[in-house]
Amino acid sequence: MEERELIELAQAGDRKALEELVKKYESTVYNFSFKICRDKDRAENTMQETFMSMVKNIKQFKGDSKLSTWLYTVVSNHCLMAARNASKRSYDSLDDENTYIDEKKLADWNVSPGKVAEDKELKELLDKAISKLQPDYRIVFLLRDVEGLSTEETAKIRNLSVAAVKSRLHRARAFLRHELNEKLKYEKA
Amino acid sequence: MKKPKLVCKDVMEHICENLGENLDSPKCSTIRAHLDNCDNCQNYFRTVEDTIQFYKNYNVDLPEGAHERLIEFLGLTK
Repeated sequence: MEERELIELAQAGDRKALEELVKKYESTVYNFSFKICRDKDRAENTMQETFMSMVKNIKQFKGDSKLSTWLYTVVSNHCLMAARNASKRSYDSLDDENTYIDEKKLADWNVSPGKVAEDKELKELLDKAISKLQPDYRIVFLLRDVEGLSTEETAKIRNLSVAAVKSRLHRARAFLRHELNEKLKYEKA
Repeated sequence: MKKPKLVCKDVMEHICENLGENLDSPKCSTIRAHLDNCDNCQNYFRTVEDTIQFYKNYNVDLPEGAHERLIEFLGLTK
């Protein structure tokens, strides 16, 4: 059944259709939540709250955007709110690009991205690096680069201008590359 | 008028800013020409791409029982 039909049935109170929509997006929502907070319990909690919001508000869903875009928006807002409430942790400022784009520190890396699934140490490195990134930059990077949304869709979800998305993306990429570079670079003999 | 010389830093900033965007502008052609001839910038380009790919490849499975807990939480149990 087409998603549009499922949404219409769900809006008319069909619980089976709601469950189908949940099944269709639960993995995406869980993964995206995990990628922001890097914690399985918090990701599951965010997934539950996101779908509760969908169930409660499905009648108001007009279909102007994709359901997935709407779900990404709910997850992003939930995670940002949680991050603001959780702690007064301070993050590195990304204002000074010279710290992250240093043309003297250039080397190729000795690990290929294909190794992620089987390498626990590498996963810990990735978790640690992205956790140091301010949550609003983290979300822009994840939406645009990891989930593959367009710059315009990312801007809409985060309620930012396209220029602001590009600026955050630029800094997030440079910051993460810099963080990983310290551990993954190798010097040629 | 003589074109200003492109330095590696400009190229690296451009890579971070425009990866995944349309790279047909005249500035992008100059960047590509520089990239073709600069090992340093090629390393930078590759490692930015790898950074993105690392995070793309890092996925987690839904934990066991999470679907059932979700359906119950939502009150959609039969």
